[in-house]
Amino acid sequence: MKRKIMKTPKSVDLATTNNCNLRCKYCSHFSSPGEVAGDLPTEEWLQFIEELGRCSVMNLTLEGGETFVRKDLKKIIDAIVKNGMRFSILSNGTLITEEWAEFLASTGRCSSVQVSIDGSIPVTHDSCRGEGTFHKALQGLANLRKYKLSATVRMTIHRKNVRDIEGVARLLIDELGLSGFSTNSASHMGTCKQNAEQVQLTVEERGLAMESLLLVNKKYGGRVGAMAGPLAEAKHWTKMVQAEREGAKPFSGGGYLTSCGGPMNKIAIRADGVMVPCLQLCTIELGRINKDSLADVWQNHPELWRFRERREIPLTNFEFCKDCKFIPYCRGNCPALADTFLGDPYHPSPDACLKRFLEAGGKLPDEKLLMEKEACACV
Amino acid sequence: MVETKNPVANSVMVLREEFDDWAVLFNPDTGQAFGMNPISVYIWKNLDGKHPVGEIVKDIRVNYNNVPGEVDEHVNKFIADLVERGFVGYKA
Ligand code: SF4
Ligand code: SF4
Repeated sequence: MKRKIMKTPKSVDLATTNNCNLRCKYCSHFSSPGEVAGDLPTEEWLQFIEELGRCSVMNLTLEGGETFVRKDLKKIIDAIVKNGMRFSILSNGTLITEEWAEFLASTGRCSSVQVSIDGSIPVTHDSCRGEGTFHKALQGLANLRKYKLSATVRMTIHRKNVRDIEGVARLLIDELGLSGFSTNSASHMGTCKQNAEQVQLTVEERGLAMESLLLVNKKYGGRVGAMAGPLAEAKHWTKMVQAEREGAKPFSGGGYLTSCGGPMNKIAIRADGVMVPCLQLCTIELGRINKDSLADVWQNHPELWRFRERREIPLTNFEFCKDCKFIPYCRGNCPALADTFLGDPYHPSPDACLKRFLEAGGKLPDEKLLMEKEACACV
Repeated sequence: MVETKNPVANSVMVLREEFDDWAVLFNPDTGQAFGMNPISVYIWKNLDGKHPVGEIVKDIRVNYNNVPGEVDEHVNKFIADLVERGFVGYKA
């Protein structure tokens, strides 16, 4: 039976460009299926934004590549405003001038701009993003804050900054006065796959990152966030182990491939105008903007329905999960990562598999490091 | 004071209708969103400056079953709330 869906997606992620002024060593865009030939002309985006307005889409996320390299970005944003939507931006921060910040603030529709800051000092930040990028990103952040925009920070954890997590918290929270920041880690996609040796955390470093993040998060009263990566894993895996030990009832969604709720409320557009379920999952092509109707693709495309129904696939179906004691507490993790590792998004991701992490000698942090509200196994 | 002009929805507001006739009323200027039941959606769609409140109430009585006696009070309160939030104004 088909699940109930909205008439149109609530949010749409737009890869406004294929280009970027940087070449980060762990970029998930370059050398991935999301890196496509050429950018769309302005008119194509403007036409599609009108359709998004007619579909009553509420929020757009502009990303890339680096969205600020587009010369016509102001026209695109003006069209978003004119068509009744709000927008957020994901950026490396280095091109955000005062003039840009002033413009974004003047729209009254900018929900947030996320800037990447990966270190507390140039050495750690610049190690993967390129020389001089630390100061430029901090300047970009300062420009956004000067115009009272909601500026958020994402730290991507890798081999060169894994010992600088506390430093980053000190810089962002104590010195700059940010309310918090979010974290992730260099994941096995795009350029990162090629530079895995240099950037991807080893099992030991992953354990170290988890412990440092829990410590820092506790110290700063829960002001460090994560949807994925070592902090999210530290919390979830610790609870899985605790639940299994105590024989707790299954977690909500546990035992099935339920980890990704994205296709129930959003869709994404690749830089060449191809509709995909997510910008990290560019191999599932659903149609093309201004040629196929967004509402029709959203409501009827069989591949999108197959992807939504991924949630009904039990982990017991997989040889990979055979005899795993964590099945009732596991949700199978990110389909995009499963796709990049195995070429199959309808499989649990081996990257975020607790069983394999432990088998490889991985150590989980002490349960006492969880904050009180996180410590219950009854998720 | 009873308003004698016709209510008109603020054009900035976005109504996201769903399959079950419910909807979300979205204010892109603030990011706030409100759930609307089918009757609220019907009222919202009639806030075009052409329909006096009395006429909207009459239409609800005709088009819906089991409408409570005090429906006019509910509709007036609902519209007053929308006016207070700045989602609706009045047209002479
Ligand atoms: S990670 Fe972002 S900033 Fe770095 S190269 Fe890729 S798109 Fe550019
Ligand atoms: S084997 Fe890994 S992915 Fe499968 S249920 Fe166990 S922990 Fe989850």
